[in-house]
Amino acid sequence: MDNNAFLTYSPSPHIKSHITTRWIMIRVCIALLPACVMGVIYFGLNALLILALALFSAVASEFIYLLIAGKKIKEIAAQFDFTSCVTGLLVGLTIGTNYPWYAPILGSIFAIVVVKMLFGGTGKNLVNPAIAGRIFIFMSFQAVVGEWLLPSIGSVTGNSVTTSATILTELLNGTASQLSNWDLLLGTGMAGCIGETCKLALIAGGIYLAARKIINILYPVLYIGVTGLFSVCLGGFDFSLFLPSILSGGLILGAIFMATDYTTTPDTTLGNIIYFIMLGLITAGLRFATKMEVVSFAILLMNLLVPLFDKFIITRPFGYKKIKKEKNNG
Amino acid sequence: MNKYRKIALDGVITSNPTLKLVLGTCPTLALTTLAMNGIGMGLAVTFVLICSNVIISALRKVIPEQVRIPAFVLIIATFVTIVRLVLDKLLPDIYESLGLYLPLIVVNCIILARAESFASKNNILASACDGLFMGIGFTLALTLMGAVREILGAGSIFGIVLWDFQIGFFSSSAGAFFTYAIFIALFGMSASQISKRRKLKNYSALQAEKHRLAEEAVNNSAEAEQSDACAAKTDNLNGTPRAFGSGTLNDSAAGELKKEA
Repeated sequence: MDNNAFLTYSPSPHIKSHITTRWIMIRVCIALLPACVMGVIYFGLNALLILALALFSAVASEFIYLLIAGKKIKEIAAQFDFTSCVTGLLVGLTIGTNYPWYAPILGSIFAIVVVKMLFGGTGKNLVNPAIAGRIFIFMSFQAVVGEWLLPSIGSVTGNSVTTSATILTELLNGTASQLSNWDLLLGTGMAGCIGETCKLALIAGGIYLAARKIINILYPVLYIGVTGLFSVCLGGFDFSLFLPSILSGGLILGAIFMATDYTTTPDTTLGNIIYFIMLGLITAGLRFATKMEVVSFAILLMNLLVPLFDKFIITRPFGYKKIKKEKNNG
Repeated sequence: MNKYRKIALDGVITSNPTLKLVLGTCPTLALTTLAMNGIGMGLAVTFVLICSNVIISALRKVIPEQVRIPAFVLIIATFVTIVRLVLDKLLPDIYESLGLYLPLIVVNCIILARAESFASKNNILASACDGLFMGIGFTLALTLMGAVREILGAGSIFGIVLWDFQIGFFSSSAGAFFTYAIFIALFGMSASQISKRRKLKNYSALQAEKHRLAEEAVNNSAEAEQSDACAAKTDNLNGTPRAFGSGTLNDSAAGELKKEA
């Protein structure tokens, strides 16, 4: 294109900005970094190994899929948009360090190849790949692995116990929690996945994303708030349940990084608000019904309803008036 | 013989009951956790399919149109009861593992579909053949799916432990749907590829034939022209003009000869 030309002729998107998919996804990776760092600090080098395996296998499976599909390596590298990096990191963050080494690899491959590439690649997936990968791993290996690992830093260390049920399970079963809300926020002495343990790091990442205007902070807050409030309602209006129920389990990671995925949220503002309120209700309700962590399942379920939201909630075109149906009196 | 070849191909490949017609999905999804289950279920269905096809085909002129479905179900149920009693006595393990799905063969879509669409319209031998090959197609599909799910989900094949590596996803019901979908996709893809290749082969054979014919025609006409030119040449040599005695025609004939040369 000639830069000196006064007018340029080009096909439609006429407004151009520097915000590309690659730009956004690199920022999301940056936002995930604090959680990764805290995971490595809490769970040791094993966590780093799992994250690296998940990340590498996600990117590698995308490259291999595209190579099989007949693209040239230069072309793939030119079009590579870090989406698979985000997916790989999220898959790695949502599992514990006591999983077998092939679990993150299989989860990433499932997420990228089956959930994303077979449906047509970035932006065409029906459900969030990372959620599907996490559920794949959960269904495949949870029974083998059993309980979650405790981090090496925290108020409970010193005990001989290295694994325990998550705080959420204890909370739902009515077992008294010995951790304060600060412990929950920082993740000290709390059993869980690599990335879900330190909530503060996740919240920092979320604030970074909101400041960069990559996500709308309203939606995760709505999701987390509704989940907390509905949990309080289900727990017999015991307001001391509010903070533990939102600070335990994978709620914050899911709300900030998974539920806000562009392709798997409705297009309209109203649709988004209803979507996130329903997510919160389903999460809290299913948690109390099944006594286990359901954030990923709730998001998967709602992801599948997104086409319905887009079909029935349509924005009013500018200047459009509803045509009143004239009654037929004849 | 060509008719029976077509029936066999239909049953196993072109309209494979599980992978092409998507019939009998209930036992397919529920029973394919183990390869052995697939074989057991497949053989039970094959037996019922052959017998019911034969009887229905034999009675096809006796059964009135209006009550054909109850009549079919009655015939099918007879054979399902036989299978149940025999399995219970001889192979109690398989009887246990098939459980509820064995009596449910009565309402299995494959059997009713073949009775309705094939056995009630064809003679006994063809119906028996159809039952056999449909049953083989069903058994093959179920056994393959069962083998894949057993290898991945339980790390064993036909009960023989291969390794200690298990992906529990494939043993779950979600894994059943996933494996089934992948199987249908791969089967459909390879089947369409094969038929496309066959069509292409036929097409190219047809094109080659056409080409050959066209070439022959061209050669023939060229030969004819050549003979004409030869005749003109001989005329010229003999000095006897072909028409009107003018030299123009001879000249033109000579020009044609030159062009051809």
